[in-house]
Amino acid sequence: MMIDLFSAMAKSVIDGDPNTAADLARSALADGLAAAEAIEKGFIPGIREVGTLWESGEYFLPELIASAEAMKAAMAVLRPALEKSDSASKGAGKIVIGTVEGDIHDIGKNLVSAMLTANGFEVIDLGANVKLIDFIEAAKASGADIICLSALLTTTMLGQRRLVDLLVEHGLRNRFIVLVGGAPTSREWAEEIGADGYAENANGAVREAFALMSKAGK
Amino acid sequence: MSPYVSIFPSGRRLTADFGDLLSDILAKEDIPLNLYCGRRGVCGKCFVEILSGDLPPSDERDQALARAKNLDPSRHRLACRLPVRGDLSIRIPEQALIPKARILSRGTGKEIFLDPTVRKIAVRPSRPDLHSPHALLEGLKTGLGLPGLRLAPETLFSAAAVLSEAPEKDPMVTAVLGVGDELRGVERGDTTSRLFGLAIDLGTTTLAADLVDLGTGTVIGNAAGLNGQSSFGADVVSRISAAFKDPAQAVALRNAVLASINGLISDLRRTTGVEPGEIYETVVAGNTAMNHFFLGLPVDGLAVAPFVGVFSVAPPLPADRTGLRVNPLGRIYLSPNLQSFVGGDITAGVVATDLPSRLGNVLFLDLGTNGELVLKTDRGMTSTSTAAGPAFEGMSVSCGLSAQTGAVDKAVLLEDGTIDVETIGGGPARGVCGSGLVDVIAAYLRRGDLSADGRILRPDKRLPVTPDVSLTSQDVREIQLASAAVKAGMRMLLESAHLGVEELDEVLVAGAFGAYLNVDNAAAIGLLPRLPGGRVKFVGNTSLEGARALLLSGRERLRAESFPRIIRHLPLAQDKAFQQIFVEELSFREWPAGGTPAAAKQEES
Repeated sequence: MMIDLFSAMAKSVIDGDPNTAADLARSALADGLAAAEAIEKGFIPGIREVGTLWESGEYFLPELIASAEAMKAAMAVLRPALEKSDSASKGAGKIVIGTVEGDIHDIGKNLVSAMLTANGFEVIDLGANVKLIDFIEAAKASGADIICLSALLTTTMLGQRRLVDLLVEHGLRNRFIVLVGGAPTSREWAEEIGADGYAENANGAVREAFALMSKAGK
Repeated sequence: MSPYVSIFPSGRRLTADFGDLLSDILAKEDIPLNLYCGRRGVCGKCFVEILSGDLPPSDERDQALARAKNLDPSRHRLACRLPVRGDLSIRIPEQALIPKARILSRGTGKEIFLDPTVRKIAVRPSRPDLHSPHALLEGLKTGLGLPGLRLAPETLFSAAAVLSEAPEKDPMVTAVLGVGDELRGVERGDTTSRLFGLAIDLGTTTLAADLVDLGTGTVIGNAAGLNGQSSFGADVVSRISAAFKDPAQAVALRNAVLASINGLISDLRRTTGVEPGEIYETVVAGNTAMNHFFLGLPVDGLAVAPFVGVFSVAPPLPADRTGLRVNPLGRIYLSPNLQSFVGGDITAGVVATDLPSRLGNVLFLDLGTNGELVLKTDRGMTSTSTAAGPAFEGMSVSCGLSAQTGAVDKAVLLEDGTIDVETIGGGPARGVCGSGLVDVIAAYLRRGDLSADGRILRPDKRLPVTPDVSLTSQDVREIQLASAAVKAGMRMLLESAHLGVEELDEVLVAGAFGAYLNVDNAAAIGLLPRLPGGRVKFVGNTSLEGARALLLSGRERLRAESFPRIIRHLPLAQDKAFQQIFVEELSFREWPAGGTPAAAKQEES
């Protein structure tokens, strides 16, 4: 029975059906299921499957967005219950994200943001054309684990390098994980500027964020 | 009783006042008489034939002009020098009218009156003698009947030599005059039949040039070549990045494009025999970044938000300042930029298609790495640009090729379900270019091997084009992104004007990619709307044709210079709705009549 419920939860996320996802979350709580268990065994496997479908080319941006929406609908129901319970899992981590100054492109960044949220990260999205110092201020204020920087132009990607330099100047380089992405960037670029990680797309960002969190022992 | 002027063979009769100049009477009635020298009686272009009427005697100069044109001085008179003394019957020969040139060979073209910004007038300067020892240039002014002649500073030196050497027995010289009676040059003898202009389409990838006879408006030669900046990167942004805060690279980029254009000028000299020194006027139509590179202006402002160039409208520039190898006293005019990402090439397109004067709602689009769109409604014009990416130019697709030999440019789904392809040059397929990609996607959608949301339904997850060439799922995704950017731009423009797609009277598709696009297939994948009755028209290289219009007509220039002010701009990236519309448009669904692809999607669910 429970297995059916969990697979229905996963399916609602895979199908990108926010109404069903929210309904399933509500009825699970009504039946006395722990919110954490619904997330861990039901919805999270759904979003993981979405990642696999994306990797294989079956899913594209519209499907990814719909699934992220379904996940968000379920989490909106489950989060209050999660916060009430003492055994609440502390979530995957806290992330500050934005597109660097001089760059107004934010579709890619929004997708990364949605997928990170769907995978259990707490995401503070600063938007596009964000001043570098604002990333640092927001990360400090929120106690973030990761700073994610998007840049869509070869001219603005230089801002990613400057942010890493700024962190060093402020003596904060070891406090935050820096993850970069955007069309002109690459893993080589990330290494060159001394960032911790690089992701090619939203799904890659989720994988990279998990990997970096566990590497940092967080 | 006022005298009448009767025009034959039409029999049209105009009322005149005694003493009116015939040219003024004709001008008042909008008869496009060629008043090339500005009614000074020196160019001999407005000779009309007098059939009957009372004429004052003509002077020796008029008679000499008539004889030089093989006209009978007793029957032909200059309209600009003939006061009306009584009823007149005249015939206006074709050559007395302003010549017209047809712009836009594809789609519906228009004719423009020749009104170039440079003219040549042959003249015998009045000779100085002991009684009247005036300076040589003063003699030229008198000969031209232009006491207000202004000298372009750089002209003094070149004019001095020609005027000093004018031989005693044939002192004929030709004055080259710019706007506002500015003397641009003086040539030996009568060279009035040899005045040329150059129209250049300065593309990111390719360049094209028309050499035009400014006397007749005829294109006498054309040349095409690659933009030598390609080694700095295929797309504009990578070239801007190369020049960003690096003056040495900016200089190198400028030199590269200059070398390419000067190469075309050499080609044209070879094929037409026209010397570069005979080219006095050049118009360049390129995107904003290309215009900046060409002039050697900094592009740093185009590199980061808010993305601004140095200029929209530039004055005509002395040729020797630009480095173009045409007559150094000539002028170079840049088709005005509308916005940082909607440049002079699009302004030229608006000019060439005569967009503001077209009836109804008209969408102009130029498909390239950047898709640029201008929507004209009865409430004005709005432009936008959308980052389509290089997929339609064959880049970012694994088997993509630019439109070159060996590229599949056509694919057709046959009755038996097989797909038949054609390559450029007819040889074996090496890859697929933009128009071929659209055809292949449309064929597989029809065959049911590709879902509208872009999933390949074949077990091997590939779309074969030939045994050696096939599209991967990633390739299909790239085409979806490019197509969605264009569709989203179109939808945002239409929505901003509160128009449904079915309310478009015309869709004008410019650019090389557009020229080979199959309308039906473009509609099948949703790239272009499916509209009845040939409303989708491919208009060819409007950048080049618009440049030609700006070369032939000073009036078209004035109009073009107003476009940056009057064409509204719709920025997409900052618009909150853009992301949602873009994602909706990722599917390969047709634009249904009466709605948009997204509307159709909502009906289905």
